[in-house]
Amino acid sequence: MRVVPMRISLLLLFLLFALITPLQAQIDPIPNLTIQPIPIRGGDIIPPYGLFNQFFPGPPNQTPPFYPANSDPNGIGNFRGVAAMGYTFGSATDNHGNPYGVVTDIRVYQGEYVGGETASANSGGATKSAPSRGTFVEI
Amino acid sequence: MKVPDSAVEISGDTLTIHLVDVPVVDAFSFPPPLPPAPENGISPVTLIPSRLSFDITYTKSGSSRVIRPATRDPLSPLNWGGEMWDASNSGSFSLTYKDGSFSASGSFSSQGNFGEMGTAHNGVFVDPDELSASNAGPGASSGAQVNATSQLAGKTGKTVLLKGHVPVKINDQ
Repeated sequence: MRVVPMRISLLLLFLLFALITPLQAQIDPIPNLTIQPIPIRGGDIIPPYGLFNQFFPGPPNQTPPFYPANSDPNGIGNFRGVAAMGYTFGSATDNHGNPYGVVTDIRVYQGEYVGGETASANSGGATKSAPSRGTFVEI
Repeated sequence: MKVPDSAVEISGDTLTIHLVDVPVVDAFSFPPPLPPAPENGISPVTLIPSRLSFDITYTKSGSSRVIRPATRDPLSPLNWGGEMWDASNSGSFSLTYKDGSFSASGSFSSQGNFGEMGTAHNGVFVDPDELSASNAGPGASSGAQVNATSQLAGKTGKTVLLKGHVPVKINDQ
């Protein structure tokens, strides 16, 4: 299978989807969600971006290296519930018939969490802790 | 992104997720570089509105791993607990740029790559009493605890906390 160099390679497209979402979680709120989930506090420092709040568990002795297999798969902090994740490879075809390689890291979380909600309408946006539950996907 | 609870179904050893036309964005590089000038007239941080549909099935296998917090370091990857199984997953997807200029569809599978599923808790849901006795020092380094916990990977057992906070590991057999 031929992997088409970017302009927009799905090989990176899906990887970017997988990795951009947590970045957005740091930059943008989830629209219309009263109690916002809080990212985990640790992660990778990726210059020049900064701290990327995600761990990548996997087997040892890989290049590039994974975190230990028992690392937290969650992107959400203060979370309790079901989590599923996994790395995949695949293939795709675009609307012009071009083939692509696909790499994914899609994670699913369903359960309760303690996030942040507006503390007061007059607080200027300050938050306070609040419990909630929901289903989230990182793609 | 937040999705409806009904998008996820958990039954036996499988978890399936079905999403249709989820709004997402595409980007041209990761991590998004700090400005300078865009190349080819396209900002490297341009995010392109898109719609994504996919179906994925995660299937767990083998024995579970009981994971206990190995550190109190709030930034450590090992500051969580749960019960996880190795899991394979496979799925299919379709993607369309909102302006219609690009679309694609395809499929993927784990093909032996790492995956897992189970129950997990972190942050405020971690009980300080869960901390492994061998790593109970409040100032212990996360690096040492990474090694300690790595040795636990793949072992199966049920951990019971008795009164007095003495962790006891009981093998299933």
